Amino acid sequence: MAVHSERVQTQSPESGKAAVATIETSAARGDGAGTAKKKSARPADGRSIGSRLAPYLLLLPATVATLGLLGWPLLKTVLVSFQNLNARQLVQHLTEWNGFENYTEQLKDEQFWAVTGRSVAFTVLNVFLIMVGGALVGLLLNRLGKKMRLLLSIGLLFAWAMPVVASTTVYTWLFETRFGVVNWLLDSLGWHSMAAYNWTGSQYSTFFVILLLLVWGSIPFVAFNMYAALTTIPKELYEAARMDGAGSVKIFTAVMFPNLKPFFLATTFLEVIWIFKAFTQIYAIKAGGPDGLTRTLPIHAFLEGSGRQHYGTGAAIAVLTILILGVLMAYYFRIILKQEDEL
Amino acid sequence: MKRQLIAAVGVAAMVVGLAACGSDAKKTDSGNSASGSSGSSATADGKKDYNGKTLKVWLMTGSAPKGWTDSVKSDFETAYPGSKVDFQIQEWTGIGPKVTAALSEGSVDVLEVGNTQTAGYAATGGLLDITKDKAAIGGADWAANQSESAILDGKQYAAPWYVTNRVVSYNKDLWTKAGLSIPKTLDEFYTALEKLKTTEGVADPIYMPGQEWYVYFGLLTSEGGKLAKKDGDKWTGGLSTPEAQKAFDVYKKLQGYSTTGAKDKDEAKPQQKDVFGKGDVGAMIGLGWELPDEKAMAKDKIGFFPLPGKTADKPSGAFLGGSNLAVASASKNTDMAKDFLKIALNDKNEGAVAASGLIPNKTSLNDKVVGDFASAAKLAAVVGGITPTTPNWASVENDPNPIKEFLTAALTGDYAAAAKKADDEIAKRLNAKQ
Amino acid sequence: MRRSLIGRTWPNVVAVVLFVFFAFPVYWMISTAFKPSKDIISKTPVFVPFDATLEHFKTAVNVPKFWTYTANSFIVTVLAVVISLVIATLASFAIARMRFRGRKVFVLVIMAAQMAPWEVMTIAVYLISRDNEMLNSLVPLTAFYMMMVLPFTIWTLRGFIAAVPKELEESAMVDGCTRTQAFVKVIFPLLAPGLMSTSLFGFITAWNEFPLVLIINKTDGQTLPLWLSSFQTAFGNDWGATMAASTLFALPVLILFVFLQRKAVGGLTDGAVKG
Repeated sequence: MAVHSERVQTQSPESGKAAVATIETSAARGDGAGTAKKKSARPADGRSIGSRLAPYLLLLPATVATLGLLGWPLLKTVLVSFQNLNARQLVQHLTEWNGFENYTEQLKDEQFWAVTGRSVAFTVLNVFLIMVGGALVGLLLNRLGKKMRLLLSIGLLFAWAMPVVASTTVYTWLFETRFGVVNWLLDSLGWHSMAAYNWTGSQYSTFFVILLLLVWGSIPFVAFNMYAALTTIPKELYEAARMDGAGSVKIFTAVMFPNLKPFFLATTFLEVIWIFKAFTQIYAIKAGGPDGLTRTLPIHAFLEGSGRQHYGTGAAIAVLTILILGVLMAYYFRIILKQEDEL
Repeated sequence: MKRQLIAAVGVAAMVVGLAACGSDAKKTDSGNSASGSSGSSATADGKKDYNGKTLKVWLMTGSAPKGWTDSVKSDFETAYPGSKVDFQIQEWTGIGPKVTAALSEGSVDVLEVGNTQTAGYAATGGLLDITKDKAAIGGADWAANQSESAILDGKQYAAPWYVTNRVVSYNKDLWTKAGLSIPKTLDEFYTALEKLKTTEGVADPIYMPGQEWYVYFGLLTSEGGKLAKKDGDKWTGGLSTPEAQKAFDVYKKLQGYSTTGAKDKDEAKPQQKDVFGKGDVGAMIGLGWELPDEKAMAKDKIGFFPLPGKTADKPSGAFLGGSNLAVASASKNTDMAKDFLKIALNDKNEGAVAASGLIPNKTSLNDKVVGDFASAAKLAAVVGGITPTTPNWASVENDPNPIKEFLTAALTGDYAAAAKKADDEIAKRLNAKQ
Repeated sequence: MRRSLIGRTWPNVVAVVLFVFFAFPVYWMISTAFKPSKDIISKTPVFVPFDATLEHFKTAVNVPKFWTYTANSFIVTVLAVVISLVIATLASFAIARMRFRGRKVFVLVIMAAQMAPWEVMTIAVYLISRDNEMLNSLVPLTAFYMMMVLPFTIWTLRGFIAAVPKELEESAMVDGCTRTQAFVKVIFPLLAPGLMSTSLFGFITAWNEFPLVLIINKTDGQTLPLWLSSFQTAFGNDWGATMAASTLFALPVLILFVFLQRKAVGGLTDGAVKG
């Protein structure tokens, strides 16, 4: 029952969703204990047709849903990306194939490459901040006393539970030029030139607001998971390390990090996806402005496609976005597939 | 052992019924779903069968004057007993793609389209050609300068509804306090704004965010400039011309007086009527429906004059914004829709439009145009203009609108670079294939 | 001595600072919603709304069709979450407990499906919905929202199922339960928290969804995110009303969080003790 008690500990964080990703990390880890038992519990062969069909029957609804509701739109996106589909074709239900024209147009377009570079840089910076910040907050949660931990957890929970559309609206209000509380605070702290500062007036200040919004909203998830992962590390390990004369850095690298690796893998995987795809936050703050300088790939695809009603172009950018995300994630897929092999 | 199959069924059973262990867990199957759902609607129609027919009408926010929709609705529903008119009010922001989508679905029967966007929608094939019905709807009397925005390749794709233009609305109390009278020239206007700046109780002499491109359009018209020109079969943007630069100098000077108008916002974010309604703003440039709620500021506290010109003989130009009413070609009720136009645009209802201060589609109704706003607006309408009537123009107004971005960029940086960039984008959009 | 005092104090100080950082925007939203307008538009912010007013909430709720939007949002979100839980439980049981050919492919697809950039596929979804005459209805919304949360739900539930020790199931069967009964009696109680925390995630995703409903439902079947965003346009700098609207929008999620998070943690511990 050692496995079981470890699980119970894993489930003890303040929130439900923390438990989610912890489990997920342990699932990614390969669930060594479960696998060992499985073999003995299952007859090696001689299974009837029914039992062989069982897993497929169980997967049927999910497969049908995925094919119909995800596969179809994806295929449709690819098809549209090879079409000249503008307002006229849309209204009259016309299909005009134009080969790779939408793609060559994009690949030759400076703006597309600028947006791509910006998207990648934006994702890297953001995920880095979220992971470091989240990990530090997680460590802090682990170190705090009961009352203070509860306090901080409540704060994190608030930020986490805020629906994106609402929090984006709140941030526009916080950073409002004339009556925003941020400008008031900066002004009263002595930075008087910020009294009526227009945050969405320049590229970097707009990005700053978006970045803060994303980091603010994403850290709780990482922090709770970090904390949950930390609680799974047996206390004896620390003590043993300390007795061997290890310093705190050594303890982190030798004891904590190996145990936290699955956590880092799984949360980074999810954060990269979520940040790269972030749409509402960026769109609602300034719609990719000023001057298109905060456009990331999803925003670009939306504005060029739906906004300007060159749907074929938008679809081509969408396909390119998917490919780029795929390349970014390839590393993770390899790791996770490897773990599936072990299972 | 069919263990896995059993497990599969087990999961399914759990999910469906959350059945208790050991019990037989028979669901109450209830096969009698086909009970008398048809009900007794009975349809006791002695009249024509318009029963259950709904005419979907899209109007833009702010367009229809008070009471207009009710009046049209009841007129129409009397003429077509049993039918219903369903008015949907749409926001201007992001309207282009929305209308295109609706036209492709046939989910709208009659819709209000901006006069600068009508040619664009017509070119998609989404608007019904009403050339033949023009006379029946009342087209013989339409003002030609309004009707032409709805004509593409000689065919009529919409009926003109109204036009209007922006004037300066000013806070009478504050102007009295500053001892000002109505300016006749731009220089006088500048002096007035200068004076308002130092008047007590004035937070902003004129509320003017940086992206009021309709105001810039008016100034450009005064200078004889155009946003875009067609050379042969290619369009080129017109912002890099000396006329455009001169117009911009005026625009920049005016905008410079606005202490609270953000250089990267337009008049809708926030709604300038709300800003003006706070009572500490000297003036704004806006439309007749962009006035504060009666609660916030009484009507008689607001005065109007057209934006003055460089000389006293005529005011600055203005953008003749307006709307047309069109029938969607995918509509399943085109006959009803055409009759809706007839009813909506008859002298009674169109007269109500005129009475609200908008310029109606027939000159014969012009004497119904009353009010302080309208009399100021009429002065500028004479020197008003409209954007190029070309199918692709609508896409220039799509977000992000290059003219708005140009204004912000030029207000905060280098004019030539901003103009060049916007011209390229305008040309790109106008020359795009459809 | 002094050092250790500092050593003991700084984490608490940092915790308080972080608490303020994370909680303040939420507090500011709620307090702005209750403040009279003159306190909102004031040069020095009013931090506590002493003369609270419900004016802004009235404005927010009085927007035409507010209740329709609310009903739509709830219907779509709840249906999407429930359906995805059903489908995901079946699928995740298979991949967590069974070995079969094609399992790896399925896992890979589920992984990849989490990356699906729905925001850029809106036009495809629109065309599909249009060509099947399902616009301005809640059906396509429900279906696609379900699909948006399905991969994550499967992925997570599979972890929960895998985490239940097989011995528990087996010992129940030794006691005379069939496998089905063992599942219902043993795995399900342990799974309940997993179902709850997963549904929480699903709820947030579907509740928030915005780009898709924007294009699919232009007249009927609109949901609260649209209401909130159009509200912002229509009411411009009426920050009181906008914040009241945001508060109303955030409320169900906040409530759900408080409620489910307790249940999720508590339920799991209970199940473990019994097992």
